[in-house]
Order: sequence, then C-alpha cells, then structure tokens
Amino acid sequence: MNPLTIRQRDTATGPVLHVVGDLDFDQAPVLRGRLDQLALSPGQCLILELSGLAFCDSSGITALLAARQHALAAGADVVLAAVPANLLRVLTVVGLDQVFTLRPDASAAS
Amino acid sequence: MCRTGGVPDPAETGDEASTDAAFTALLEDSAEDLYESAPCGYLSTMMDGTIAKINTTLLDWLGLDREAVAGRKRFADLLTIGGKLYHETHFAPLLRMQGELRGIALDMRRQEGGPLPVLVSAVIKRGSEGEPLLIRITVFDASDRRSYEKELLRRREEAERARAEADEARRQAEADRARLADALAVLQRSLVPDSLPAVPGLESAVHYHTASPDQLGGDFYDLFPVAGGRWAFFLGDVCGKGPEAASLTSLTRYTLRAAAHHDPDPASALTTLNAVLHERYTGDGNPRYCTCIFGIVEPGSEHGPTTVRLASGGHPPALVLRSDGRAEFLPTPGGLLIGVLPSAPIGTAETVLAPGDTVVLYTDGLTEARMGPGRDDLYGEDALHAFATDHAPASPHELITALTGLLESFGDGLDDDTALLALGVPAAPSLISPSTSHTS
Repeated sequence: MNPLTIRQRDTATGPVLHVVGDLDFDQAPVLRGRLDQLALSPGQCLILELSGLAFCDSSGITALLAARQHALAAGADVVLAAVPANLLRVLTVVGLDQVFTLRPDASAAS
Repeated sequence: MCRTGGVPDPAETGDEASTDAAFTALLEDSAEDLYESAPCGYLSTMMDGTIAKINTTLLDWLGLDREAVAGRKRFADLLTIGGKLYHETHFAPLLRMQGELRGIALDMRRQEGGPLPVLVSAVIKRGSEGEPLLIRITVFDASDRRSYEKELLRRREEAERARAEADEARRQAEADRARLADALAVLQRSLVPDSLPAVPGLESAVHYHTASPDQLGGDFYDLFPVAGGRWAFFLGDVCGKGPEAASLTSLTRYTLRAAAHHDPDPASALTTLNAVLHERYTGDGNPRYCTCIFGIVEPGSEHGPTTVRLASGGHPPALVLRSDGRAEFLPTPGGLLIGVLPSAPIGTAETVLAPGDTVVLYTDGLTEARMGPGRDDLYGEDALHAFATDHAPASPHELITALTGLLESFGDGLDDDTALLALGVPAAPSLISPSTSHTS
C-alpha cells in the first residue's frame, strides 16, 4: 500500500491539491477530511492533480464525487488534472468522464 | 550420631563424651515426659473404648482433667456429635476389622474454643495368643491443615463459580450469535432472492459471492415477471462494503422492482432509481451511488425471437455467448453511475437471443479480481471475453458453473462481492422447458 499524501498549492484561480499514493477504502477518508477543511469561494476552481495517484477504488471515486459536491456547494468548479490511464478507464466505464472536467495538466489556464 | 550405649571409644575426645552424656540423660529423662508432653495426643483405651490412659498434651488441648477422663469416659465421648457418629459407623468397625487405622480426620470436643480438627491413628495391641488387649491411639492437631484444606475448597469453589459464569457468558454469546445469524439471513434474503422464478422458454442461472464475513453484500440481482408476458431482471453493485452497503442495496432493489411494475422500460426504471438515490443521499456530503444493468426480456413464442432490451448506469457491459461459438459484449455507452447527478444519462442496448444464445451480467468483482501482486494487475474485460469465447456456446447453467470455477481459481485475488446472472434460450427446441439453477 502506498501512503496517501496531499499537498496544497494556492493559485490565483483556486487551490490545487496534489494527491499522491493510494486512494482506497482505508485512505480515501484522508482526502474527504482535507476537502471538509478546504475553503472555496464562488467562481474559484478546485484542481485535483492526480498524476501521482497509484491506485483508486470505489472509495476513491466516492471521495472525488465528494470533492465535486463540495465545490458545487460553494459555487466553485472542480477539475481532475493528469488523470492516470487506469483511473481514466474506470471513470469512462462508470460515465464520470462526462461529469468531471478532465485536463492533461494542472495549469490554471482554461 | 546415634549411639545405642556401651563404652565410649577411648580415642574420643572429651567434647564428644560430654555430648554423649547429655544425649543419654535426655533419653533416660524423656520416656515418661515424652509420653506426657509429646507434640501429639496419646491415649489408650480398653476394647470397649473406655479410656485407660491419656497424655497431658491431649488433656490440655481439650481442656479436660485427667480424673474426669481416665476410667470414666470413652474415646467416643471426646468427639463432637458428628465425630461420634463417624466413630460408631466407620472408625470402630474398621479398626476391629483391620487392627489399625491411619490418618482418620475427626473433630474432638473442646471445653472452650469450638471443635478441634484432628487426624487420628489407632492400633490394637494384642496378647501372645493374638487376643485384642487394648487400643492405642495417637491424635495430631490438624487445625492448620484443615484451614489449608478449607482454603483449597474455597478457591476451588471460586474457580468453579467463575467457570460456571464463563460458561453462561459463552452460552449467552452463542445464543446472541445465533439470533444475529438468523437476522442476517432474513436481511440477506431481502438483498437477493432465495431462488429465481422459472421463466417459460428461458433458462436462468446465478452465482453470488459475498466477500464480507457477515454475508451482507453490496451486489444485487433479481428476476421477476412484469406485464405483457415480459420479465424484468437487473444486476448491480452499490458503493461501499458490509452492512452500510446492504442498506443501500435494499433501497435499490425495491425501488427497481416498484419502478419496473410502473413502467417496464429499462431506461425509465434506472432513471427512477437515479432520482430516488440522488434525493436520498445528496446534500450530506456523503455521496452514495450504484452501478446497474436493468433488462427486459420478452420470451419468443413458438418460432418468434427472444428479445432483450438493456439499460445501464455505469455498469460493465453485458456479455452474450452465441450458439455459433462467438462471444460479444453489449456496450451500453454513455450510462452514468446511478445517484450522482439529479438526472443521469442512461446507456441502452438491444439484442435478440437465438436458441443456444446466453447473455450474462456480472459485477466488477469478476473483472477487477487481482491476478498478481500489483493493485492494477486485474483480470480485465479482455480476459473475460477470451474466457467466454473459449466456452461458447454454453447454456446459462454451464456458463455460471465455468465462471464459478474461474472465480474460485482467483483465490485471495477475489476480494470484492461478485454477482453473476445468466439468461439463455435452450438450444434444442424440444428441450424448451423452464428451468433455473443456483450456485453460491
């Protein structure tokens, strides 16, 4: 199991969370907890940078959906950046590739 | 250094001689004194028990005067009532029979201080012709030993009581467990049906594996009749594990059953489910969702085709094994996880089952089974397609049996709930008859 680390970088358009490690049943609550603490303003964009994500199961998917709910509730947007191929395959199977905005990298430019 | 007397060895020094002298004096002095003041009680009685002689030690223990005892009392008179009874029933008869007794526990009466627990040994002295003359009795104070035995007894009683309490606690725990198991079995039946109904002109088979030790799974399936001679079936997977997943499973299953009766259109049923789950679980920051394939099958009449219409919300595609040996996925693109958005796109597909064709629905416990040490080293859809091609054509029962064997071969790699549901049209028209089979 790869330990989960979350590094935050604040940009002009909103916070970027670099999520590294395994997002599984045991560690997904860490991301959920981080999101609960995260202050978002209307019009901001929360970017989850996932290039370091080694593994993501249904608990991880739930955490990503919780991030989306959190952002929408604050009037903000959410973007998944640098989604690894395995996760992209799963997101496509369950149809979430249409729900999330996906970007190749975490650049704030839209 | 014990001498029997005689002349001291001339070679011995004066020290040894004086020690010998003191020793001899002790022996000469002690005969009577030893009897009277010995650290145990002595008494001699006539054969009828009348006390002829008793030492001071025993008189002191019992608080009696010699004059009140010698020639006036019998040994039994010195005992407590219980001791007297035991003397009459056991002690005296055994002594007459065996000629001696050792270490008999009795209680003697004391003038003050309650009964004195003692250990008694007795021997019959006989004359030259072997005739019994008198009884010699020694009495040892057993107070300490008796209290030690009482302590042992108390400890043993405590241990037995503790064991009885532990036994009772275990019985209670087992009863609780049995009751919980019964409750779980009832709940389990609310998640998946006990048995599939027989569908005329179709064969069906299922397999259900729960990874959770309490047998409450997050996968579900069902098959039931709806209006117009059609049958509805669904199979899905809710997020999460164990009891929390099971409550969502239950909501999902009954919502779909109700929706199917209201409008037996696959996409409508999933749209209704999406609305119900979204309304129920949105807003508390804890999204709950499921993936599901819902189908309506219309068995063909004598020569008509059997049609299957499917709708999917984020679920892996169904697989069809054709009678000619091909296997193909039935993609339902565009379908989304059920319960995530207020209105979710639903993917649909339709196919016709010819005699000998079988369609199988499965949950991702099958395709996501781990095949190696890596977490991303998964069985996958390509391997499943190859497996299906190898086994086509196959009846639902044959296919479920083969897939169950495949799941077993995964061993510990199968760490998720897995449900399989297969429906097929029997190959030979003469064999068309309803039949179902289950494995679990």
